Amino acid sequence: MQKPNLSFWKVVAGMVFVGGAYATVVRFAQGLGAATNLSDQFPWGIWIGFDVLVGVGLAAGGFVIAATVHIFNLEKYKPISRPAILTAFLGYVLVVVAILFDLGRPYRIWHPLIMWNPHSVMFEVAWCVTLYTIVLALEFSPMVLERFGLKAPLRIIRSIYLPVVILGVLLSTLHQSSLGTLYVIVPDKLYGLWYSPFLPLFFFITAITAGIAMTIVESFLSARAFGKRLEKELLTGLARVIVVLLAVYFVFRVQDLFRHGQAELMFRFNQESVLFWGEIGLGVLLPMCLLYVERIRTRESGLFFSALLVVIGFIVNRLNVSITGMLHSETYFPKWTEIAVTLALVVLGFTIFGLAVKHFHVFPPEETASGKAALQDAGPPIFTRNIVLAAWAVVILGVITFGLSKNGRYKLDSMSNAIAATPLRAEPVEPELVLPEAFDYPVGEDSPGPVTFSHESHVLSQDEAACSVCHFGTFDILKDGVPDTESVTMDEMYEGGSCGKCHNDTDAFAVEECEACHQE
Amino acid sequence: MSVGILTDLTRCIGCEACVSACREINNLPASKPGSQLTSTTWTAIDRKGGINIRRQCMHCLDPTCVSVCPVGALEKTEQGPVIYHEDRCMGCRYCIMACPFEVPKYEWDSVLPKVQKCIMCYDNRVRKGEQPACTSVCPAGATIFGERDELLDVAKHRIQENPGLYFDHIYGIHEAGGTSVLYLSDVPFEELGFKYMQADLAYPKLTWNVLSHIPNIVSVGGVTMFGIWWIINRRITLDKVRSGELTEEEALGAEPD
Repeated sequence: MQKPNLSFWKVVAGMVFVGGAYATVVRFAQGLGAATNLSDQFPWGIWIGFDVLVGVGLAAGGFVIAATVHIFNLEKYKPISRPAILTAFLGYVLVVVAILFDLGRPYRIWHPLIMWNPHSVMFEVAWCVTLYTIVLALEFSPMVLERFGLKAPLRIIRSIYLPVVILGVLLSTLHQSSLGTLYVIVPDKLYGLWYSPFLPLFFFITAITAGIAMTIVESFLSARAFGKRLEKELLTGLARVIVVLLAVYFVFRVQDLFRHGQAELMFRFNQESVLFWGEIGLGVLLPMCLLYVERIRTRESGLFFSALLVVIGFIVNRLNVSITGMLHSETYFPKWTEIAVTLALVVLGFTIFGLAVKHFHVFPPEETASGKAALQDAGPPIFTRNIVLAAWAVVILGVITFGLSKNGRYKLDSMSNAIAATPLRAEPVEPELVLPEAFDYPVGEDSPGPVTFSHESHVLSQDEAACSVCHFGTFDILKDGVPDTESVTMDEMYEGGSCGKCHNDTDAFAVEECEACHQE
Repeated sequence: MSVGILTDLTRCIGCEACVSACREINNLPASKPGSQLTSTTWTAIDRKGGINIRRQCMHCLDPTCVSVCPVGALEKTEQGPVIYHEDRCMGCRYCIMACPFEVPKYEWDSVLPKVQKCIMCYDNRVRKGEQPACTSVCPAGATIFGERDELLDVAKHRIQENPGLYFDHIYGIHEAGGTSVLYLSDVPFEELGFKYMQADLAYPKLTWNVLSHIPNIVSVGGVTMFGIWWIINRRITLDKVRSGELTEEEALGAEPD
């Protein structure tokens, strides 16, 4: 049963890689225009919206679990810390690869490290992602060092592990939220259901939630793929945390919409509000309710399904912020090459994860036997029902106080209010037309006399100063004021060129009337 | 003081002399005159209901593009023009995404693309004390160059001297926190596709409000986390002493691994 299944997935992976390789060639040989549907109106597509925003967010499990185990000393979560760190490390490496695809000049990716602009959110994100990728490499390194029995460097890593983890948490807090801050500067380009000055906070909370949910999903997939025992007790504990986080997020999010006067957008039943409810209803409320019920939470299928919903809701949220909620999103749908690169990166992540599990001690080898024993005397769960209820009470209380605080309306006033009192145009416009001086055409050998061209006699009135009649095609506008008259011949004019365009006896007197222009 | 451009839409005759002059001085390839800005058209005449609207970079006093650029490739010069250092740009396109006026454009079809926009002829003219190409060729005096303060006076004077002619607002006086490029019009700006903006809201302030908290987050967060770790670890050690797993001397010297 399992063998044909495995080879089927290998075939799929192979096809995805071929597509990705072709798209890569198009991207780097012909540029972004050939490989993407991006435009000046819509400069950021799925390489940013999915590969970077979703990738970084789903990798948040790494810092959350690392903090749980090493800062909060909840040792029982240790069995899942290594796969979480590996997921995060792979996630960040792939994010960096995706950024290389997206940058117009990828070979300058190091520029932000040298050329500073502390006012730029992107600058901060660049630094944090760089440093955090290094931190993750350090956190991941024991797996490699153990494999090759390098004791001395292992000891060094262990001795600095706590500061490294703390640094990782700080960097993650900063850049997970800063990805939201990126959009704080576009208040009138991002739709009201998603724009908020609190975007950084929302991005941070959702990243933690989705990171934990991803850890659960990843554990299930690993159990299936590598025949690993499932740490169900631990995952159920994580699920309780997710319930609290989702509740906090939901209440905060909806309250924020009311606070900024955008709440009615939720009920417009246009494309945006449907996407909003898809994100909130299916990705926040439904899994929150499901995981709150103990019977569902403790069941493998219920736990997996709910965690998957959280992950999907998170993806929808990031795509809503970065793509569907943005101005001019109707002009953009990813080209197949964009999708091919994205798919290839996802599959690459799964492939490397599989290889890493095969070659390094990602899962503790003794977990089957002693892991179970450890679980049994782990003591009472940390998140008892009382604590969950208490958390709820705190949230509701907090929201009430926050709601009663001064309501700042963020929405910009409508222009129509501002202009209502102002009278519109009362009398016709009288532009002051400043015409160029008259100029003399050079006199040809058989010319009956010199010709002086005057703009004044050609412009009928100020109201009808139709410069573009002549100054498109026939006569270029001359920046230096010196006309290009050498090639003007009567023959040309008979053919309808130059002055003959209008002086054809229909629009104006014919060029045959010599004295009209040639003065004695 | 910084310089600027005042474009009076009531005077513009739509001849596109400015468009040609811009193309000429910046060595931009000839292309069909269009109504929108592109990577090869840094100023364009947008014709709406008989009114000719010259579009160009607004050269904000506190430019969003300059604030968002992670590598400082965009710069607000002291004289006023917002200029571009192409040797720094890595192509993240945050400036294009963030500009509230949708001005910067990208060379999408190039393998080594650059961001393109009006730089107010900084290198060729303004830095040498001359006026930009576009204002120098305007036959109608519709777009003029000068000190921003003086241009504001001119604009206010025109509104006062011609009662009922102008829509009573100078676009750019406080839009996006003020811009070096100013407009006068006889119809409401919103009808001409000018974006309405909350007065004196400089967009970079929105993100700086968040970014300026970072030093606090790092210091407070780092100390808090270390404190939490220390307290929890201390409790665990004390529990071990109580249960007889460790002696008190061991507990004092026992540094947690």
